[in-house]
Amino acid sequence: MENIKRTLSALCAQMSVSGYEYMAEKTIRSLCADIFDEIKTDPMGSFVLIKRCKRPNAPKLLIDGHLDTVGMMVTDIKAGGFLSVTSIGGLDTRVLPATEVTVYGKREIYGLITSTPPHLRKKGADSVPALKELYIDTGYSKEELEKIVEIGDPVGYRYVLTEMNGGYVTTSGLDDKACVCGIIEAMRQIDVNELKYDVYVTISAQEETGKNGSARASFGIEPDIAIITDVNFASGDGTPEHECIKCKGGCSVDISSLTDKGLTRGIIKLLNEKNIKHQIICEPGRTYTNNEGILISGQGTRTAVLSVPLKNMHTPCETVNLEDIKSLAQVLCVIACEENL
Amino acid sequence: MKELLRELSLAFGPSGCEDEVRAIIEKYLRANMPKNAELFHHKSGGLFLHIPNPSKPKMMICAHMDEVGFMVTGIEDNGLLRFGCVGGIDPIVLTAKRVVSEKGIKGSIIAKPIHLLSESERDKRPKIENMLIDIGADTKGEAQELTFVGEYFTFDSDYIEYGEGFVKCKALDDRLGCAIMCKAIKELGDTSSDYDLYFAFTCREEVGFSGAYGATRLVQPDYAIVIESKAVADVCGVSEQKKVCELGKGAIVSFADLGTIYDKDFTRHIMELCDKKEIKYQVHRMVSGGNDSRHIQLGACGCRVGLLSAASRYIHSPSDVVHYDDLDAIYSALMAVIKGGN
Repeated sequence: MENIKRTLSALCAQMSVSGYEYMAEKTIRSLCADIFDEIKTDPMGSFVLIKRCKRPNAPKLLIDGHLDTVGMMVTDIKAGGFLSVTSIGGLDTRVLPATEVTVYGKREIYGLITSTPPHLRKKGADSVPALKELYIDTGYSKEELEKIVEIGDPVGYRYVLTEMNGGYVTTSGLDDKACVCGIIEAMRQIDVNELKYDVYVTISAQEETGKNGSARASFGIEPDIAIITDVNFASGDGTPEHECIKCKGGCSVDISSLTDKGLTRGIIKLLNEKNIKHQIICEPGRTYTNNEGILISGQGTRTAVLSVPLKNMHTPCETVNLEDIKSLAQVLCVIACEENL
Repeated sequence: MKELLRELSLAFGPSGCEDEVRAIIEKYLRANMPKNAELFHHKSGGLFLHIPNPSKPKMMICAHMDEVGFMVTGIEDNGLLRFGCVGGIDPIVLTAKRVVSEKGIKGSIIAKPIHLLSESERDKRPKIENMLIDIGADTKGEAQELTFVGEYFTFDSDYIEYGEGFVKCKALDDRLGCAIMCKAIKELGDTSSDYDLYFAFTCREEVGFSGAYGATRLVQPDYAIVIESKAVADVCGVSEQKKVCELGKGAIVSFADLGTIYDKDFTRHIMELCDKKEIKYQVHRMVSGGNDSRHIQLGACGCRVGLLSAASRYIHSPSDVVHYDDLDAIYSALMAVIKGGN
């Protein structure tokens, strides 16, 4: 669990708003150098990490998790040291007023998203302010700010990681760094002698802005099977139980018409046989993960989706249970050591 | 003062639960107060320091120790907590914010993912009654081991200095007042002032029915100065007229707010002293907000009340913001009044 915690906090502390994943290269290399045989970057900003099983003509297993997070981008520098921003990915504007951010200019600076006092609100107004009505308060004069920040610089939620009761951790960017952490830990734990595949891990870019990175990263790989990992909605916020999964319920196997039936059912059978804790969620149509891109990348491939329950998705308080990350790592190890899937 | 302000602001102290704040102030005062001063607690929950000068008029300087916060009102079967606000908090600043309990249990206010909301729900202003705190308990029983109905929570916030002289934390309203008063007491030392001075650190300002009523009846001052935070809107996108005041432009003096019409002569006296000593100040340009001044004015047989406040952005959120220059200006103005003749 200590490894998971360390890897997770290193990943979450690293800014990787969609389109700016390249900034994470040092972090990814330092976390993964000892675990993989080869680490490559691609032009879209994804990382491809290879761990070989040393068997001749081994099949290729692709495991994908996306590194990018929702965030913002500077669009203008205003008088009084305020920045206007646009959203990157599905930003939840309800959570923005009085929220802390980091602006990644020539150097990192602290910022606060503005919030106007209630007495200035229009009477009867029942809506939350739109992003265009909000600004980032940097505390600098415009002149000073122009020396530090340029239009186009990314903005992310300020990194704060809080450990809560019962193994829960809350911070921003757990979508999908919780899964990236699970993948890295699986590859750290795995016994290479048991490994049945050459594993290609894609820590992919630009999922939040249209699932663009992973399909490009997987294109040249032509894997035999692909496992896509992403977070999924955790129960507790009033969403019907069958539309979400439970925290501490273990990694979930997602059943969808867009995943390979044989592979998915094979994984479930394997986990049942080995008595490994997991849960199941059914998503008859789209999974809204990188699955859809990888599925049709190259000549097409057999895919399955594994997910980790996450509360408060796309907010600065995304919450995950470390047990579920451990479970994902365990399930990935089991899959990577099984020949006949 | 910065160190003390940091310690006070990070201390836990929603209205009615000011113990930790009171203890920090008491410890500071015991180490730094003048020899002839008398420190005492009062049943109203307030902490008082009297620096006697019997031949002079009585002046009470007042700041409140409490902050806005939350109280657990119920525990759901799935371990989530229902809560109500202690003091006025705009629900818009609550979604997905970190909170912490009296006992230090960490949590966050949950937010249903944006993906699962209907178009109309996405823009809708949140309501407190639909909000829940998650403390990492999966069942009611587990939650009951960590908290109880009636326990206080407050924002889990860090003290951060940013930009050019700004500082951000929860509860700067009104720990800044407490910190300025502490500094004034230390600075006064054994020098004499022009008043029979009482410093009152009060309770429950944020929920009305303030400890300042009792404090005023106890002290029966001739003059009072309240040191406070003032909600302003000097942010981008707000018209000049609606900004009220600006951060970094000095201490705010007010002629009126929604609770109080301040004593005109006393307020002008404060302004004259500021002019003379070249202390930066600005006049409050909107009749808005209110504070303990009202409770002091109505507390006894009437009293001349003046206000020195610090312009504050995003007040009553995890991110109150003030400017250090304004705190220095308030401190200087306060000292000028105390020593500036009757």
